[in-house]
Amino acid sequence: MYPRPVPETAHASRRLYMTLVGAILIIWLAPLFAVILTSFRSMADVMSGNLWGWPTEIAVVENYTAVFTQTPMAGYFLNSLVITIPSVIGVLSLSTLAGFVLARYRFPGNMLIFALFVGGNFLPHQIMMIPVRDLMVRLNLYDTTTALIIFHVAFQTGFATLFMRNFIAALPDELFQAARAEGATPFQTLIHVVVPLVRPALAALAILLFTFIWNDYFWAVVLTVSDNVKPVTAGLANLRGEWVSAWNLISAGTIIVAVPPVVMFFLMQKHFIAGLTMGAVKG
Amino acid sequence: MTAASSPIHAKPRNQNERNAMKSLELHRIEKSYGAYHALRGIDLSVEEGEFIVMVGPSGCGKSTLLKTIAGLETISSGQILISGRNVTKEEPGDRGIAMVFQSYALYPHMTVAENMGFGLRMAKRPKEEIDAAVARAAKILRITDQLDKRPKQLSGGQRQRVAIGRAITRSPDVFLFDEPLSNLDAALRTQMRVELSGLHAELGATMIYVTHDQVEAMTMASRIVVLNRGAIEQVGSPLDLYRNPANLFVAGFLGAPRMNFFDVTVDSVSGATAAISAPGLAPMTVSLADGVAPKPGDRATLGIRPENIRLSPDDTTRAAISGKVRLVEHLGRETILYVDAGALQCVSSESGTGNVTVQIGQVTPTAADAPVSLSIDPHDAYLFAGDGQRTVTVRKTIHTNRTKVGTI
Repeated sequence: MYPRPVPETAHASRRLYMTLVGAILIIWLAPLFAVILTSFRSMADVMSGNLWGWPTEIAVVENYTAVFTQTPMAGYFLNSLVITIPSVIGVLSLSTLAGFVLARYRFPGNMLIFALFVGGNFLPHQIMMIPVRDLMVRLNLYDTTTALIIFHVAFQTGFATLFMRNFIAALPDELFQAARAEGATPFQTLIHVVVPLVRPALAALAILLFTFIWNDYFWAVVLTVSDNVKPVTAGLANLRGEWVSAWNLISAGTIIVAVPPVVMFFLMQKHFIAGLTMGAVKG
Repeated sequence: MTAASSPIHAKPRNQNERNAMKSLELHRIEKSYGAYHALRGIDLSVEEGEFIVMVGPSGCGKSTLLKTIAGLETISSGQILISGRNVTKEEPGDRGIAMVFQSYALYPHMTVAENMGFGLRMAKRPKEEIDAAVARAAKILRITDQLDKRPKQLSGGQRQRVAIGRAITRSPDVFLFDEPLSNLDAALRTQMRVELSGLHAELGATMIYVTHDQVEAMTMASRIVVLNRGAIEQVGSPLDLYRNPANLFVAGFLGAPRMNFFDVTVDSVSGATAAISAPGLAPMTVSLADGVAPKPGDRATLGIRPENIRLSPDDTTRAAISGKVRLVEHLGRETILYVDAGALQCVSSESGTGNVTVQIGQVTPTAADAPVSLSIDPHDAYLFAGDGQRTVTVRKTIHTNRTKVGTI
């Protein structure tokens, strides 16, 4: 069995093990704690360089209200939602459609298209920075949320299609034959048979995509300049001053930015787990 | 797509017109996957209300044939007519068929009622019509109290009932069953077999049933279709196929334990009889059917069913075969003996050893290693000759009460 439990009698080993676990956890979580603590600090603490220690005064309410009143974070937050939610929906729809066709229909070029979807994932997307920016400028979409939505949908659909195609291919063949024998059209089969059965995959994919797109910084910086389109990731960087940075406000902003993916996970988790057990039952 | 708008029953409702029509006609069906020839020139005509069972060994094409009738597989050439309508190019949903699958193929996320009403819902039928059809099918199958459950809450037998119910709600012209009972345990299989026969009688519908289980074939079929390597070997009523197999394949396929086959030589032919012999087998004269004439010196195969071989311990002079018992299987009602007949080896025998299989309808004190003499009534023997190993012996009468006429 692995991991093998440390025997109760080996006191030295047990103590060493517990110490190591503790130490690693502290090192790993230290930055997160520092950010959380800093989001509680007053500006005075930040100015005096107390960035890791206990705050001298707790300014939770002040900092968190300041994020929304003194910085454009509320706008960035809204922009992020405007970019992320349509992108996730777009990717899920396109990848389910493409995955269904690639998994269930034989046609010339099926494997080639599938290989393109898979192969596209291996391309480092940074090399497309200049062409994509150029394209968006020509389409008159540069510095709009639409540009980011189009890019994210295009870029994430490859991976998502691979994921959905394999999930749909694993569904029993006879379900599709039964649906066809009962006169269901391919689209009816997709809506009434495939989608309900791949719900766990869709939930898992939704969590992943939401996190990827929400956390994207690179393309946010490449494709946006104005404050009224910037998502939170690019916006957070904007909060840094030229000479002085209000780290307490940046930290509070960071914590707020981290909340939606976590909320998303807990929302989707129910479908995820309920769906997994349903899929595991035969028949 | 068109499936939703086109009616499921595009068939004449007039009773006289229907009676004049075959339920299903297959004309020269051919199917190849690349170089592999899966179906070879299948011709079959099924009357309204018949229960057709297709049997054959694995890979004989029986499931492929069923799927081509359903429209789930395309055919390379040929024609499929359902209720007189050419459906060769039509989608499965428009053919007027309903299919029941081996794995039930129930939608796990739908309730029993939703599963059963799925086809009608896809065809956008009014809710009252769907509910009525589901209720009717549920009543026939006695699953009315299960309608709100999900498939995973049901036992195997109940799931199979739901799958059959799903077929009934569509009131198809032809029901197609693809080995529907093979996932059930033995006791349940017998029960469902009886229920299916009852259902066939109740609905009076045309049913095409694929199985590898010859008990299902013998007990349920109006006619059996024996398939081998993508071609039909023989079509006929169960007892006719059992008593008068057209060739060696059908003779070997139907009947358990399997028919014993021996390589023999035709010694002489006089009129409608042929004298045959083999090492270890007493010379025997069999009656030939009209128009067949094996030549003296021809190799042929002699077939004799295990239940037609008798023990004749006291009368070794009339014994056809002498040997030693290798193994005795007591089944209570009957006893199976495997007899090593020395030089006379059984080809492709039941036990795989070359021993002669003998089935005795009672308990016998005969033990292993005992020497035995076996007698054969030549009237019970089959002779298979020619390239196609066709049966050349005269047709046998069918005794429906299953009691055999005594030996001479």
